[in-house]
Amino acid sequence: MSVGLVSALFVAVALVAVGAFVATWRKDLTAGLAGLPLMFGGAGVAFAGAARFSAAGDPKIFGQEVAAIVAVAALALVALGVGIAGRGISR
Amino acid sequence: MDSLHAIGFYVSAAISIGGGLLVAFLPGRGARGLALGVSGVGITGLYASLSADFAGLVSLVCFAGCALLIAAPRYRTVESTAGLAWRQAGAIAAAGLFAVLAYAAFRGDFVSATYTGGEVGAAAIGRLLFAHDALTAEAMGALVVVALVGATAAWRARDRGR
Repeated sequence: MSVGLVSALFVAVALVAVGAFVATWRKDLTAGLAGLPLMFGGAGVAFAGAARFSAAGDPKIFGQEVAAIVAVAALALVALGVGIAGRGISR
Repeated sequence: MDSLHAIGFYVSAAISIGGGLLVAFLPGRGARGLALGVSGVGITGLYASLSADFAGLVSLVCFAGCALLIAAPRYRTVESTAGLAWRQAGAIAAAGLFAVLAYAAFRGDFVSATYTGGEVGAAAIGRLLFAHDALTAEAMGALVVVALVGATAAWRARDRGR
């Protein structure tokens, strides 16, 4: 059993597709926001996998940096979406 | 990658994808938030298997935040105006997206190339943005701030007009 770039990309693709599915399937748009971190997580896994299995020289931290930034961006987007959705409840 | 890491990778993949599917189908905010947290744990395991421990740690914290936000009881429900047929079409489109990207991942030809652009990393990008192209970066920042302030002002003006 081994893991390569194709395996990492396949899992990343599956996460992106599941995130897109969550975003489209939920009738409640605010609940559909939960698809965003999944899609961004898939992108981060693709970056981390490409960095892990790339032939370029060390240190291979650029993919990890992008993955971390993408995770923070996902949190910010979900917070923004929930904030906009919650507008009008309490001022 | 040895067998132990490979097993961890595939188990984490199953947990993350399964958690994501649960987010789509579970009723109730709390259950969906919990499923999103489980999916985040799986993605953190993926990062750890790919030797990206720091990214995994950041991802775990961010997924915990997202799960708390999704599970929170205070936000307002915004019902989509799209009917069931459109949502089913969206689900089929997501499956099509998966098929296309998976085909690209399997059939893609990753060539070996030599990158001669110098160091790649956050420090190099920072030097580029704040030393070499400082004026451009500041102009872009100012443009974004003006756009956000303008959008906020327009939003508030429209709210007062209602």
